[in-house]
Amino acid sequence: MRALVVVFAVLAFSVPAYAQIELTGSYSPILYEDYIERGPGSDLGDFTGMPLTDEGRAKGLLYTSNLPSTIERQCLAQAPWVLQYRPLGMRIWSEVDKDDKVIAWKIEGDYLRDTLTIWMDGRPEPSPNALSTAAGFSTGKWEGDTLTIHTTHVKTTWIRRGNGIPASDQTTYWVHITRHDDLLTVVTIQEDPFYLSEPHVVSRVFKFDPRANQGGRSICNTANEIPRLEDSGIVPHYLPGQNPEADFMTRTYNLPKEAALGYAESLYPEFRHKLKGLYTPPAACGRYCCGWIERQGLPGAAPGLACNDGGLGDLHPVVRSKSEEGKPAPVKK
Amino acid sequence: MKSQIPNPKSQILIAAAFIVALGLNVFAHPSTMLGVPRAEAEGQGRGAPPGRPGGPPTSARAAAPFDPTGYWVAIISEDWRWRMVTPAKGDVVSIPLSPEGLRVAEAWDPAKDEGAGEQCKAYGAPGLMRGPTRLHITWQDDNTLKIESDYGTQTRLLRFVGAAEAGRAGARTWQGVTTAQWTMATGGGRGRGGARHGSIKSVTTQLRPGYLRKNGVPYSDRAVFTEYWDLHVETNGDQYLVDTNLVEDPVYLQTPWITSLHFKKEPDGNKWDPTSCDARF
Repeated sequence: MRALVVVFAVLAFSVPAYAQIELTGSYSPILYEDYIERGPGSDLGDFTGMPLTDEGRAKGLLYTSNLPSTIERQCLAQAPWVLQYRPLGMRIWSEVDKDDKVIAWKIEGDYLRDTLTIWMDGRPEPSPNALSTAAGFSTGKWEGDTLTIHTTHVKTTWIRRGNGIPASDQTTYWVHITRHDDLLTVVTIQEDPFYLSEPHVVSRVFKFDPRANQGGRSICNTANEIPRLEDSGIVPHYLPGQNPEADFMTRTYNLPKEAALGYAESLYPEFRHKLKGLYTPPAACGRYCCGWIERQGLPGAAPGLACNDGGLGDLHPVVRSKSEEGKPAPVKK
Repeated sequence: MKSQIPNPKSQILIAAAFIVALGLNVFAHPSTMLGVPRAEAEGQGRGAPPGRPGGPPTSARAAAPFDPTGYWVAIISEDWRWRMVTPAKGDVVSIPLSPEGLRVAEAWDPAKDEGAGEQCKAYGAPGLMRGPTRLHITWQDDNTLKIESDYGTQTRLLRFVGAAEAGRAGARTWQGVTTAQWTMATGGGRGRGGARHGSIKSVTTQLRPGYLRKNGVPYSDRAVFTEYWDLHVETNGDQYLVDTNLVEDPVYLQTPWITSLHFKKEPDGNKWDPTSCDARF
């Protein structure tokens, strides 16, 4: 009898051991934001939306796209949360202990990004002097239905794909992953004492999709992409003040440099007061003008959709222009 | 051999203990009421969440698992060139337009909008939320969350109760009619006495046709705008309101246009800067 009372008392005053949100599965990135960056790749000199320090901006402007083509950099690991800026899906699963308690969440890597391990077992962060790795060190905790993650001990990388925005090895991330129905919202808040003047906040949406990530992209092979650089010892770069693309956004989109080169003030509504007298929209859209589904040639692209793609047909598989309206879509190469 | 069956008095005590235990556990559990997810138990937008059984309904304000009120500023760290300034006509990249949507976008004429008194077409709810705006969020009453924007000086009302009545007249407006509900967290992180978690799900209909993007990318009066609102509080005290949203439009979109927006909390309204609708900039 006494034992039964004890059992019920424990039951009454215990906190239930309920399951956390199940994140396991494959997710497709939804590229309806920052499509150019996440699809074909950022424009050089496009630092819009970035709160860079002067040092970060200067380092970014030293960059040339030849740099990652050098043999030793072709497979350089990218930042652990670079998935926010790339067009690839992600696969998430959990690691459990013998009692089926989740001790870690894993986000599968690919040929340029290491698999992330998010420890859920309460282990402490390593010493600040501990080794930095491509994946960094991540711990997680549930805040309601949101998985909150802290990532430290990362390597020096580029934040964004293809235009040199840097991230130091002192970068840390707070990340919030929230699932609503089939949508997974990933918010990254990145801090970097060297290259960011304030936290860099990005939110992306992924969609649960069993076909999103089939794996098999774990190997990066190098090749001699630029023969004249082979064994030359040359490290491609622009000297300070000599990057010919520093004003690309001004030439192409009429944006003042203050808007294009990643000053924190440009992220906030009041910056429009500065822009009002300086900016006029380009007369017409000249590049990447099509809706993204049409560009990708994916199922669902509406037949007969026509758009001005600015003559980039050689770079992309499915392009239609006004002159092609009514003709069958080009075959994807 | 001693009997394992308790005597009748003990049976009553055990049964009572079991009922009490079950009851306490149900109320302690953040996710379920007798196995039914709390969000469902709360009616999925059919009104204010019920209070304790037999008690009066709890207002949406009282049920709030987080405080959405205050001043919030949009951080334009994504799609900067399409959100902070008006892009070129025909720049519809990343929006899954239908052929008709593309045709309408390519026919954009801001002078025509001005002439028709429709300068606010880019300030309807789906366009407004992507704009370079500050939000001032307050409770208009216990069941209505008011979201004001300084960008275009617009007001949205998220109705936890009474959306059906509000929409009965059928009028279509820039901000439409929004039904809202709290979705309480079903995940971990809360024990008895711990912080409550959850999010707002809102669905906006009865929209007057407007623009998703300032350069005339359209949505129709059949558009449905669904949003999930989450609050993230950082260890340094920073607060971010994240609005994950879908625009569905059978007229101008091929698939739902899905994005997320983030707003940072500000200490006060010192930077509040009301502007009127502008069809061009």
